[in-house]
Amino acid sequence: MFRHLGTKALLAFTVLFFAFIYVPIALIVIYSFNSDPVNMMRWSGFTLDWYRQILGLRNAASEAALYIETTEQLLAAVKNSFIVAFSTTALSTVLGTSAAIALYRHPFAAQRFYRVLLFVPMLMPDIVLGIALLIFFVGIGGQLGLGTIITGQTTFLTSYVFIVVSARLAGMDRSLEQASADLGASEWTTFRRILIPQLMPGIMGGALLAFIISMDDLVITYFISGTNTQTLPIYIFGMLRRGIKPEVNALAVMMLVFSFAIAFAGLYLRNRKR
Amino acid sequence: MDHSSVRLDGARKSFASPEGTLVTALAGIDLSVKPSEFLTLLGPSGCGKTTLLHAISGFVELDAGRIFIDGEDMTHRPPNKRPVNTVFQSYALFPHMSVGDNVGYALDIARVARPERNARVGAALEMVGLGGLEKRLPRQLSGGQQQRVALARAIVARPKLLLLDEPLSALDRKLRQAMQIELKTLQHELGIAFVFVTHDQEEALTMSDRIAVLNGGEIQQLASPGEVYNRPANGFVASFIGASNLFTGSGSGSGAETIVRTSAGLTVHARMALPSSGPVTALIRPEQFALAPDTGTHGLSELPVSIDQVVFMGMVFEIHGRTDDGQKVVATLPASQQSRIAEAEGRRRAVLTYDPASVHLFPAVSEAA
Amino acid sequence: MSTLKARKRQQLALLLGPVTLFLGIFLLLPLAIMVVYSFLMPGLYGGVEWTYYPHNYGRILGFADPEFEVFDPVYLSIFARSVSIALITVAVTLLICYPAAFQIAALPERWKNFALFLITLPFFASLIVRLFIWVLILRPTGFINETLGALGLIDRPLDLLYTEGAVILGMVYIYIPFMFLPLYASVEKLDWTLIRASQDLGAGAFDTFRRIILPLTLPGIAGGCIIVFIPALGNFIVPAVLGGAKSMMLGNLIEQQFLAARNWPFGSALAMLVMAVVLVLLFIAIRQERADQPGSGHA
Repeated sequence: MFRHLGTKALLAFTVLFFAFIYVPIALIVIYSFNSDPVNMMRWSGFTLDWYRQILGLRNAASEAALYIETTEQLLAAVKNSFIVAFSTTALSTVLGTSAAIALYRHPFAAQRFYRVLLFVPMLMPDIVLGIALLIFFVGIGGQLGLGTIITGQTTFLTSYVFIVVSARLAGMDRSLEQASADLGASEWTTFRRILIPQLMPGIMGGALLAFIISMDDLVITYFISGTNTQTLPIYIFGMLRRGIKPEVNALAVMMLVFSFAIAFAGLYLRNRKR
Repeated sequence: MDHSSVRLDGARKSFASPEGTLVTALAGIDLSVKPSEFLTLLGPSGCGKTTLLHAISGFVELDAGRIFIDGEDMTHRPPNKRPVNTVFQSYALFPHMSVGDNVGYALDIARVARPERNARVGAALEMVGLGGLEKRLPRQLSGGQQQRVALARAIVARPKLLLLDEPLSALDRKLRQAMQIELKTLQHELGIAFVFVTHDQEEALTMSDRIAVLNGGEIQQLASPGEVYNRPANGFVASFIGASNLFTGSGSGSGAETIVRTSAGLTVHARMALPSSGPVTALIRPEQFALAPDTGTHGLSELPVSIDQVVFMGMVFEIHGRTDDGQKVVATLPASQQSRIAEAEGRRRAVLTYDPASVHLFPAVSEAA
Repeated sequence: MSTLKARKRQQLALLLGPVTLFLGIFLLLPLAIMVVYSFLMPGLYGGVEWTYYPHNYGRILGFADPEFEVFDPVYLSIFARSVSIALITVAVTLLICYPAAFQIAALPERWKNFALFLITLPFFASLIVRLFIWVLILRPTGFINETLGALGLIDRPLDLLYTEGAVILGMVYIYIPFMFLPLYASVEKLDWTLIRASQDLGAGAFDTFRRIILPLTLPGIAGGCIIVFIPALGNFIVPAVLGGAKSMMLGNLIEQQFLAARNWPFGSALAMLVMAVVLVLLFIAIRQERADQPGSGHA
């Protein structure tokens, strides 16, 4: 039917659709090299100063242009983000994978309860989880900081790992494990030599997803990070509220490059495994 | 001392169905497989044949009963401690391992030294006609080749017993027939018992030394293929294996001569003693019928039918007819009688004859069976 | 009990123990405490008084503690605005994604995969960065105003940022992949011979769309709408970055109760409200899916 409606119109619409997604991204990449220190969207020459500044390098820009509060704060936020992301990825990968294997292997009465339990954090609006965790951590007298961020993020990242690994398990041939036992392998050997290698793409995919989401998490972290600990998204969020400086632009582009690199790595891994 | 390869005593197993009711998969099975015997478990899906196989391999734990393999009690042994190996329906080749590593898996688990392991892997692959393919990955092989790898992997550790779970069902017809013969040959070479699961009666008749026909978790008959085909124990076996014409009624007669009279008044003669008191069923296979000669008596029993349809099947014609009281009858007649069949078709009537010696009787359990 | 069963039980405990403990303490317990908080009296200087106090919920509707407050529908209007912004977001993303899904489904395999990759890619990019881009584009000295000004089309910058429109634009931008993927899944499954059959039976383009295409892609439409609506309703980042005081949403209100007003019980009650809306939606979605299953089993 769309043939009569005009395939060309539909194609043009789809091109616009992609333009809507990618033109803004292209704009910020281009203007991150703009040398105008006051009006970031008025082109006045090419510069790498904003990138230099973020990396803490000396540059030709005037002292007045040094907007970014301190490089130390930024670096601390980056460091925190990585600490949190690596810890939560490790924790949620172990928890999510073991839960997925348990529910796959053993049919038992509480199956349904666990499935709901593991789906809820993903479907729940994150602000609800954020304030529930805030009330809880303050209630037990916990010091808000890296510890609470890691714990809080792990609650919902576990769900993501669980779902990715479960999907992989669902597509797995159950008779592989039976074949291994049939050929004399103990349960531990089967687990190590058959189940885990088969699951590996799923586990890696889940871990990668958890890592990306952790690096990006703003809402939950916002409520449970306390006043002294900033992750990168919190740092940028704060900056946006205080006023935008050209350095943020460069920082945003670097973050885009980083996340796209991870996405490409994930895609590469997936294609290689197949 | 026990002279069976595997023996089951009163094996029982039920499962909870998704609806919550209890489904009986094995209703107290006694079975003894002789050493170097090719035994087939045959039955429709849900008859318990796969459960029975899994009980032997150890993936299903029995609710009651015992299992002995080579005289040793295996009832509570986990699958990895049983001296049996399985060829899985899906082959279950480990996709992340090469063919050689798949076949060598059991030997690696048993910590067989490398040189011996490699030699045995090579020999097993040689045996199934895949020598030299050790380095390939399973997905680089055709379906038939994967099947052979699964076979090599299952025999490399020299099991006391090989279990085959519908291993040929994924192959096309031609390949399947070739594999049937190869499997028989392989079994002779290995000299161990094969327990083979299938729902394909033709496959069962071709390959087996004995067939156990299962239904509803019970063994309906355990006998040689000829016996199962020609002398089925009951209506289920008769209709599950081959086409059949069944006539149920009251039997009367003396010695080796019996007359079965159906409720509609039809009579069937059999040269066989009455198997039991009570209602009896007479079985006439379609190929036992012949067209009556035009004239004269012939000493054979007759069954006049009206013809509904004649179907040409290549080597034979299949005649679908109806007796005077409305019971459907199928007869297959050789294609060489084409002209006489055409003549009968024109009249829409024929008289079918049969040799009472070829009629088999068994007790009729109920109308449903 | 046989040893096999005992071993399985042991294994199960080993695999499920940690996750049970973790989610029990850090998910279920906090949620339960939040429920309790929503029924407590706010303390004078933050914190709570441990007395039963149902007026937190009344305040959302405008009827609060009769001793201290008069009828004030301000929270109700924020709730209404949140729902309407979320609904508009859903409608706009649907209108954008639905035609695109058909075009992409019709592409050759290689292009199809590339297009899908392009649509999912932004999902990996930081949310805050994607919103920041729009600040740069919309603000008075942003890309749009600079460009229009340079072209001489406007004398003074347009007020684009800190408006409800900016909030909707930002939401649409970040939720496009959420809407697109479920939609695409059902569009791609569509059997094109059915459409030819419909035309063959005399239906025009409109009838074919209304009676064949729309019903068959409805599961994807419903899925996409729910997946966008849920996070949009409670979102507080987008209004905080792109919206002004007049476009306050439920999420901002909740944030305020916790970080500024320090009325935790009222904030908890508001969170319960968001949660309730989400649960109702999910319940409907799950029921619908169950009802569809027998019919769609062979599709």
